[in-house]
Amino acid sequence: MNSQRKRIPKIEPFKHRVEVDPKFFDKSWKKLDDAIREIYNHNASGLSFEELYRTAYNLVLNKHGGKLYDKLTENLKGHLKEMGKLVEAAQGGLFLEDLQRRWADHIKASQMIRDILMYMDRTFIPTSKKTPVFELGLELWRDIVVRSPKIQGRLLDTLLELIHRERMGEIINRGLMRNTTKMLMELGSSVYKDEFERPFLEASASFYSGESQQFIECCDCGEYLKKAERRLAEELERVTQYMDSKTADKIANVVDKEMLSNHMQRLILMENSGLVNMLIDDKHEDLTRMNDLFKRVPDGHSTIRSVMTNHVKETGKTLVTDPERLRDPVDFVQRLLNEKDKYDEIVSVSFSNDKAFQNALNSSFEYFINLNNRSPEFISLYIDDKLRKGVKGANEEDIETVLDKVMMLFRYLQEKDVFEKYYKQHLAKRLLSGKTSSDEAERSMLVKLKTECGYQFTSKLEGMFTDMKTSHDTMQSFHAARSGNTDGPTISVQILTTGSWPTQPCATCNLPPEILDICEKFRAYYLGTHNGRRLTWQTNMGNTDIKATFGSRKHELNVSTYQMCVLMLFNSDDGLTYKDIEQATAIPHVDLKRCLQSLACVKGKNVLRKEPMSKDISESDTFFFNDKFTSKLVKVKIGTVVAQKETEPEKQETRHRVEEDRKPQVEAAIVRIMKSRRVLDHNSVVTEVTKQLQSRFLPNPVVIKKRIESLIEREFLERDKTDRKLYRYLA
Amino acid sequence: MCTPAAAGRGRVRLNVGGRVFETTADTLASAGRDTMLGAMLDASWNVPGAEAEYFIDRDPACFAVLLDLLRTGGLHLPAHIPEAVLCREALYYGLLDRVRAARWGEFDGDRLRLAASVPGRAPGDGAAVRAAPDGGCCVAHGGAVRVYNWMLEERRPVHLGHAPVNDAAYLDAATLLVAAREGTGSSRHSGGGVAAFSALTGELRHRFRVAHDRQPRPFTPGALAFDDQHSKIFASCKGRLNEYGVAAWDATTSEQTDFFYEPPACALGDADGLQWLDGTSTLMAATMFPRADSSFVSLLDFRGRSVAWSWSDVGTPASLEDKHAVHAIAMEDGWSVCVVNQYDDLGFLDLRSNAGGVRWRSGSKLMGRKKVRAEESCYPKLATHGGQLFASTTTGAISVFSGPDHALTSTLRASDGGGVCDLSIGGDRLFALHNEENVFDVWETPPLPII
Repeated sequence: MNSQRKRIPKIEPFKHRVEVDPKFFDKSWKKLDDAIREIYNHNASGLSFEELYRTAYNLVLNKHGGKLYDKLTENLKGHLKEMGKLVEAAQGGLFLEDLQRRWADHIKASQMIRDILMYMDRTFIPTSKKTPVFELGLELWRDIVVRSPKIQGRLLDTLLELIHRERMGEIINRGLMRNTTKMLMELGSSVYKDEFERPFLEASASFYSGESQQFIECCDCGEYLKKAERRLAEELERVTQYMDSKTADKIANVVDKEMLSNHMQRLILMENSGLVNMLIDDKHEDLTRMNDLFKRVPDGHSTIRSVMTNHVKETGKTLVTDPERLRDPVDFVQRLLNEKDKYDEIVSVSFSNDKAFQNALNSSFEYFINLNNRSPEFISLYIDDKLRKGVKGANEEDIETVLDKVMMLFRYLQEKDVFEKYYKQHLAKRLLSGKTSSDEAERSMLVKLKTECGYQFTSKLEGMFTDMKTSHDTMQSFHAARSGNTDGPTISVQILTTGSWPTQPCATCNLPPEILDICEKFRAYYLGTHNGRRLTWQTNMGNTDIKATFGSRKHELNVSTYQMCVLMLFNSDDGLTYKDIEQATAIPHVDLKRCLQSLACVKGKNVLRKEPMSKDISESDTFFFNDKFTSKLVKVKIGTVVAQKETEPEKQETRHRVEEDRKPQVEAAIVRIMKSRRVLDHNSVVTEVTKQLQSRFLPNPVVIKKRIESLIEREFLERDKTDRKLYRYLA
Repeated sequence: MCTPAAAGRGRVRLNVGGRVFETTADTLASAGRDTMLGAMLDASWNVPGAEAEYFIDRDPACFAVLLDLLRTGGLHLPAHIPEAVLCREALYYGLLDRVRAARWGEFDGDRLRLAASVPGRAPGDGAAVRAAPDGGCCVAHGGAVRVYNWMLEERRPVHLGHAPVNDAAYLDAATLLVAAREGTGSSRHSGGGVAAFSALTGELRHRFRVAHDRQPRPFTPGALAFDDQHSKIFASCKGRLNEYGVAAWDATTSEQTDFFYEPPACALGDADGLQWLDGTSTLMAATMFPRADSSFVSLLDFRGRSVAWSWSDVGTPASLEDKHAVHAIAMEDGWSVCVVNQYDDLGFLDLRSNAGGVRWRSGSKLMGRKKVRAEESCYPKLATHGGQLFASTTTGAISVFSGPDHALTSTLRASDGGGVCDLSIGGDRLFALHNEENVFDVWETPPLPII
């Protein structure tokens, strides 16, 4: 086997060498040369492929590969020069078509020549590292035809001219364009880039720079963006039609830069039609377009965002600081919610719910909501309003969505503890006056607050609900215990745990003896069942239903405990002076005035008559039972004149209490931090405390400093002896 | 027999050297457009409707074999046709790739058969055998590298001034790297170094230089490695002025890109095995017992110029003294290195921890321990492919281990040419170079039976 394998290839060339004809190469080459000429002349049908292939094979086998290759190169050059001349001579509009036709001819010919010389391609080319035949044909076409001085410039000008005409709305022969760019791509990506792509991008840049200048002078922002969008789509479509797909990004960049980047500020800030106007008028479509276009541009999104943020902050600021708005808290919060809805919709519809936009929106809302320090109170009032009566007619899902939205606003609050204060007050009022319309809605609100702020935040609120429940149970068992004993007034007592409820220190008023009796019975019952408890009557919070007879008319009056006390006095006397009443009931001055005002001065509910008649109560007034009182209703509810919104002194009071409540929280935070860190400098303490308490409120650094000093006094901390800025924790 | 109507339905009549073959255009077209037969039948060479018979001035017997190959995809060579003749004919038709593909199947270490044993030209001194990606190979011995194509025909040998060759490596099927020792005479710088040759013609393509402080210096390269991903060439180098380390060149520009100077206690310049690890982008350098007093393996990270991992058997307890790792290879999983000692025992190193030693496989003695000959010139070598581990033994056999636990699944034994001094896998073939007579065996996987 081995000897055979070696012998055969050795003998063959030897045999040929003996028979070799000195003109062997020239004869063979002539055959091939003639064939190539016929191929270029579209006259290949008379050729025998086998014969030509064999001829080329024999040349290579006889080591004429190099010579054959050189001859071929020379031959191709000759043909291409001829073709180049013909292309150059083509008349005006026919130039591209002529070039195309000749290119197709050349490709076809190159293929056939490659077929003939296939054996050389397989054996001689790899060992000699030369360009394969077909690629050689492409290279020569590139150098001799495409880059010939008379064709190169003309080709480019023709292509750019056609594209310009298409941009101006003319219909051009896209197939021809496609074939031409395809030819350039086939000649190599660098040829496509140098001969077409780069100049095309330059021409496009200058075209769009001019056009955008023209547009911006005469169009408003929305219109301009529409045009830019259309241009962009056109260019991308053009690329898919007759360019390399890699050009898509490049031409898009050019359009972006010329039409968008360069005019970005002017477009976004354009008066009467820019971003701010789009926001005001809810132009979702325009906003979507603006967002989509400017996200292509560096800094585009951030510019839109900052303009939007500024606008939201400004409008929000005017909203929350407008004294007109402060009059009606419910309306105030409703406006905030509407504003929030509006921008949420814009972000979701037009800005594809982009996180950065959401964050920008949130930070703007947070900014302006906290500009008004009454926001926590108002939000609580809004919830109060919704939970008090809003549910009527509205189904549960609606109230849920309202609550969810309010929670959004709540999240923006920095002083969550202030909110908690108010919420507690309002909840207490709702619970005690039995005005919570839906227990479920209340609970759901509580759950929301809990998830937002944690257990600690709602523990007291939950305590209030528990109290209501236990009170209910206690009352049932109390009534059961004295069943049968039904004469005399009935009583309903709510037992409130001290600390859970916003209690006001209050002097107990003197209750009428009938009531006092049953109160005492309850007290005895309650203390009998519960050991070691103390009951204090909160007479300022209760209410009563009493039956009253005016002449022959019977009415049921729903009044507050205080009012009940006052009215009961008129069972024995027809007329009493202010002083008499005050003495008999021991109701605090302010409350008494308010309660008398609602009994005597409210039209349609004036069960008492006052002398002299006037709007205000003075200490010298005398009151009489008004037997001329009439009402269409059997049940008359006599409200107390209660300020829904806090008055200025009340506000101060709440503020003060909040500040007081914060002190221990700040101290606890400081101690927690110092306990883990042992030694820390002042600034770090302030930072960490702020961080810890952020979810509830923003502590004032001055307050923190005061608390630190207080802790030092109480020897929880000490200052470092050498560095006064350092604190040490004293275990 | 051939009516024009039948021809129209795709029947083709061929007259090859006087013998008439009839086949279909589809069968011939399956050879591909870039073959002689494909071109001949292409529309551009045929006038529609004319000529139903083609004449080809070639040997009909070989054509019958090749036509059979096109029809069935299988190669059946009658005894009277020499293989070389068939290959020559296949080259004429442009079907040589098809013949090669039909000759042997996808590599499987457990189904190898001995395809050929090629006798060497000079006795002894065989340094290395390297498989080419296309199924050819080269054998380095003495001052030259002998190059064989996949038909195992010898091409023009390659040499660097006939300096002793330390290592050779294929960059691709057509480019061969050779590392040769620097000449001893101080005046002759031309001898040693690293150079790229055309594997087809044996022409010198490029000499790779090493410069220190921008001064080109002569050096003696040890082992070679090639990183496909970043097309980098590595060689362990010993410079004349103690510039020891590993040099790196860019394979496309042929410029030196880096030189990893040998850190203290690392014998990099002496490394006799380099291997690029794609997974960790590091270069494994192994310096083994016969060359140095102790064995040493490290992973070099060129990006940070740091040694990412290293192991040495310096200071191993005396009881293990006789276990000198003599060859190391990184496993394909990329996190372990397999080593073998002079008694053919296998051991493993874990690349994920830095502290561990070699876990020698208990009872892994491939061929019961025998007394080591005094002048041992041939040590076991390792290779991996497709999850299998191949270990040559000093007795002249090759063990094949498969599976995650490297169970012995096959033993290859062929020529009585003495111990196997090197083996290499590539182009779906395994080449084993024997110590005596320089004979090398070629193992390949036969095509799978159809049923």
